[in-house]
Amino acid sequence: MAESVLTEISHLLNNLSENGESASIDLRSLPMTRTDRLHLEELLGRGEVHVDLDLAGASEAWETRYPGVWWIRHRGKNGKITSEEIAVTPIPEILVTHPEDVRAAAMRLKNDLALFEEISNQPAGNEHNDVEILDAQP
Amino acid sequence: MPSHKAPDRTLGDMLNERGVSRRTFLKYASYTASILALPPSAATAIADGMAAARRQSVIWLSFQECTGCTESITRASSPSIEDLIFDFISLDYHHTLMSASGNVAEEARHQAMKENAGKYIVIVDGSVPVKDGGVYSTIAGMTNLQMLQETVKDAFAVIAVGSCAAFGGIPFANPNPTGAVPISELVTDKPLINISGCPPIPEAMTGTIAYLLSFGSLPELDHLGRPRAFFGETIHDRCYRRPFYDKGMFARSFDDEGARQGWCLFEVGCKGPVTYNACATLKWNAGTSFPIQSGHGCLGCSEPGFWDLGGFYKPLSTASGDATKYVTGAAVAGAALGTATAIMANQRRKKIVKPAPPAKED
Repeated sequence: MAESVLTEISHLLNNLSENGESASIDLRSLPMTRTDRLHLEELLGRGEVHVDLDLAGASEAWETRYPGVWWIRHRGKNGKITSEEIAVTPIPEILVTHPEDVRAAAMRLKNDLALFEEISNQPAGNEHNDVEILDAQP
Repeated sequence: MPSHKAPDRTLGDMLNERGVSRRTFLKYASYTASILALPPSAATAIADGMAAARRQSVIWLSFQECTGCTESITRASSPSIEDLIFDFISLDYHHTLMSASGNVAEEARHQAMKENAGKYIVIVDGSVPVKDGGVYSTIAGMTNLQMLQETVKDAFAVIAVGSCAAFGGIPFANPNPTGAVPISELVTDKPLINISGCPPIPEAMTGTIAYLLSFGSLPELDHLGRPRAFFGETIHDRCYRRPFYDKGMFARSFDDEGARQGWCLFEVGCKGPVTYNACATLKWNAGTSFPIQSGHGCLGCSEPGFWDLGGFYKPLSTASGDATKYVTGAAVAGAALGTATAIMANQRRKKIVKPAPPAKED
């Protein structure tokens, strides 16, 4: 089974190389046993990049020893795997910051800066209160 | 009374304020795409669709039922990515879960209907008794039939969860003293999705709601109005004991050597070959196990008339003759038996229950 998936990955990687088209394989949709998945993981190996994400439970993504082939594994808070895929792409979408998150971050940083300025303008001696205000920010 | 009107802000904005990033949306979407058997590339569309959606008003009606379906969906898993669906919906009425009662509860239902006319989803669990004017089950002085008709009038879609709502279930079983009928016999002018099971798999319920939210349309349904993503294959198709069936290796009682060795449970009554559901893949209790893995045959609870299919411990084939002569241990016999069983079960099912009409989409 692992070899069959590897063949599919090879086709997708060629397509990425020649046409720039990204694609993914949902490993959970395939009738693979745990042994099959471990075998595939072993065949693909580990490359230069490994990323841990904290998104309502742990997630991890690593580039395999074939650049452009990524293994992405999502877990729930109970540690069980909720989804798992092979992404054949220069960079998995889950690692790219969404424009909406950038917009929200810009606004939050602006507010934080205004708060820092307000705190720094307060008379000396109120430091403890200042810390509480900062901790209350989301 | 708080407003039940869908807020103007999107789910993306609302959850962003709570520190839920678009990456988290995407993770949820990947999980949803996977359980809905959609390609991974659909995850982006799901994430974008959900982020742009408004919080969905849901009215949950419980009729002739045991609350097992509610137990199932509220115990989807430990608080985790799977439970994000509860942030996406506004459960405006559910008489078991809501703190309000009596007139205040009914007022909440009316308010949600009025403020979200044409947009709210009605989830129904339980069948509806229609015999003797529907007197066998009433809520707030209304028969279940009256409450159903009143509530679905301005709904966007109706989801019948559990085998009682989808096919009549246990109240519908012989002799059906209350004249129970499935929702499909009463709701014919709205998009209707059946999510059968006793109870249904929680992911089948949450995944279907997530699909509706993301795409604003119904997922692909089978001839019984069930999402193909969860009901497209039989338990038998994806059962890890299938190789034993193919080799003709069967447990013949629950304490024999075959049972101890984990062989196929067909001969002790497993209905897996004729039962369409995702128990063998999604499993139960956060993916821990499912009945066959725990040593018991499938009861066929997601199929119409499962209570009247002739006995949970009788092999599918025995009702129509002595099929045990075919179960001789040969792989060929196993495959042939499966085909014969499926045909017989389909014939029997047609006799027991009139299939629900296909779901309609506005």
